[in-house]
Amino acid sequence: MTSSDFTTSTERPLLERVSVIANDRVLSGVSLVALHAPRVAATARPGNFVHLRITDRTDVLLRRPFSVHRATGDTVELLYQVLGPGTRLMAEMRVGDETDIIGPLGRGFSAPEDLAHALVVAGGLGAAPLGMLAERLSARGTAVTVALGAPNAERLVARETFESVARRVEVATDDGSAGHHGYVTELVERLIAEDTPGMVYACGPEPMSRTVAEIASAAGVRCEVSLERLMACGVGACLTCVVQTTEGLRRACKEGPVFDAAEVLW
Amino acid sequence: MSSPVDLRVSIAGLELRNPVMTASGTFASGKEYSDFVDLSRLGALVTKGVSLTPWAGNESPRMAETPSGMLNSIGLQNPGVESFVEVDLAWLAAQDVPVIVNVSGHSIDEYRAVAERLESEDAVSALEVNISCPNVDAGGMAFGTDCAQAAEVTAAVRRVTRKPVIVKLSPNVTDVAAIARSVEAEGADAVSLVNTLLGMAIDAHAFKPKLGRVVGGLSGPAIKPVALRMVWQVARAVSIPVIGMGGIMSGEDAVEFMLAGATAVAVGTANFVDPTATIRVIDGIAGFCRAHGIARAADLIGALRVG
Repeated sequence: MTSSDFTTSTERPLLERVSVIANDRVLSGVSLVALHAPRVAATARPGNFVHLRITDRTDVLLRRPFSVHRATGDTVELLYQVLGPGTRLMAEMRVGDETDIIGPLGRGFSAPEDLAHALVVAGGLGAAPLGMLAERLSARGTAVTVALGAPNAERLVARETFESVARRVEVATDDGSAGHHGYVTELVERLIAEDTPGMVYACGPEPMSRTVAEIASAAGVRCEVSLERLMACGVGACLTCVVQTTEGLRRACKEGPVFDAAEVLW
Repeated sequence: MSSPVDLRVSIAGLELRNPVMTASGTFASGKEYSDFVDLSRLGALVTKGVSLTPWAGNESPRMAETPSGMLNSIGLQNPGVESFVEVDLAWLAAQDVPVIVNVSGHSIDEYRAVAERLESEDAVSALEVNISCPNVDAGGMAFGTDCAQAAEVTAAVRRVTRKPVIVKLSPNVTDVAAIARSVEAEGADAVSLVNTLLGMAIDAHAFKPKLGRVVGGLSGPAIKPVALRMVWQVARAVSIPVIGMGGIMSGEDAVEFMLAGATAVAVGTANFVDPTATIRVIDGIAGFCRAHGIARAADLIGALRVG
């Protein structure tokens, strides 16, 4: 029910001039940029994203969409991986540099007011939109369990954030260097069986999200997934980012990036 | 103290408050951009392509960024003309901006049927006939790369509408001026160009194309020199107005198209980079005119000094 969606923003998106407060590598291959963005920080909800202008140069032309990892006070934090020319330029942004963002954008996570217990499943950089969700859920009294997966112990994204707000954090690594030796989805199966949550939230590689959705569905638990798509406009106009759903093609930037997992045609 | 610049231009009987339109497919029907842009400031709003029946568009990935540009392969996904009239046009009718509807089809009959359906809609100021989409198998660019077929589509639409007919031309031809002349001869009131350039991007490490449909349409600053050249060629070949587009990011870019012979211009990919790009371009044209002591933007049209 949308009436109890504490997370769904009713604000219209805006174009906000922002400055870089910090831009640091936080893990091998993962960086975090903090932006002074008071207007977007005040209105962003868990699962929303911002569309960041990286440069005024035209050679890297398009904006890049990033889930809001955390929004506290006047600050918006984004997690990113240096993968191509755009994120390489992003890594060169210095404290004090100015740019702009469009946000908050997209449909965020929904969370019934009476949700007693939530399971949050993050795979790799999929932790990006889930940091804020875990924080806000905990703050209003929902018990949060986090299942966090990564290739190895050094690449467990946002582990400290989750440990500071969640009732319980379980980790899984492909090489067994921390926690469960194997896939995070194996943890999910066990965690749901032990203590069935009211909602499951997942973000990560799409095969992971799909498996989590199937496990949740088999257990009769509602599941929401945040999906990643290439985007051009970010505001619903260009139809680049469509997702196949039971309701037809839906725009990840507008009807998503958070979808009810039961509606996604994987 | 200088008097304000007169930005008005006229296209096929349409009086525009300034020469700046949106390029079809980059602005949907305007609602999404109304959060950022006062639509009543635009010269005209050109909608995304509308077909007779709903089209699902192409498989993903539908976009690949390239140096100073992007490839798209959306494939004219749209809900069909009935839904367009009910939802989009009803909303647009309440906005204070001339609406130009981009008409798409798989066949000459489909183009004609869409034009017929829109004829009674007062909120539609003009039609832009899209014979240049590179992303559909039947119709689209196939009609825009052959003089006889381009002429046939134009004539079919011309017969069923009294609204101004603009024909949008493809750059993927050997002689764009010849296509322009053939649609002018069949009653086109204006031509717009360029649509996207057919292109391709490859992920070498995966041995795979970056687009689901393999090929797509290139837009953005990368294509501006090609677009300027084609606008220049067409403006000299026809006597109907030309609407120029292709990589316009600034007022100065727009001025270049007008100097090459365009009466109006359209801003496309720039909207994705800066949602307020259209307004920046309008203000930029006015600023350029002031700086050069030009009283009317229309004086820029074809004012290029060669030799």
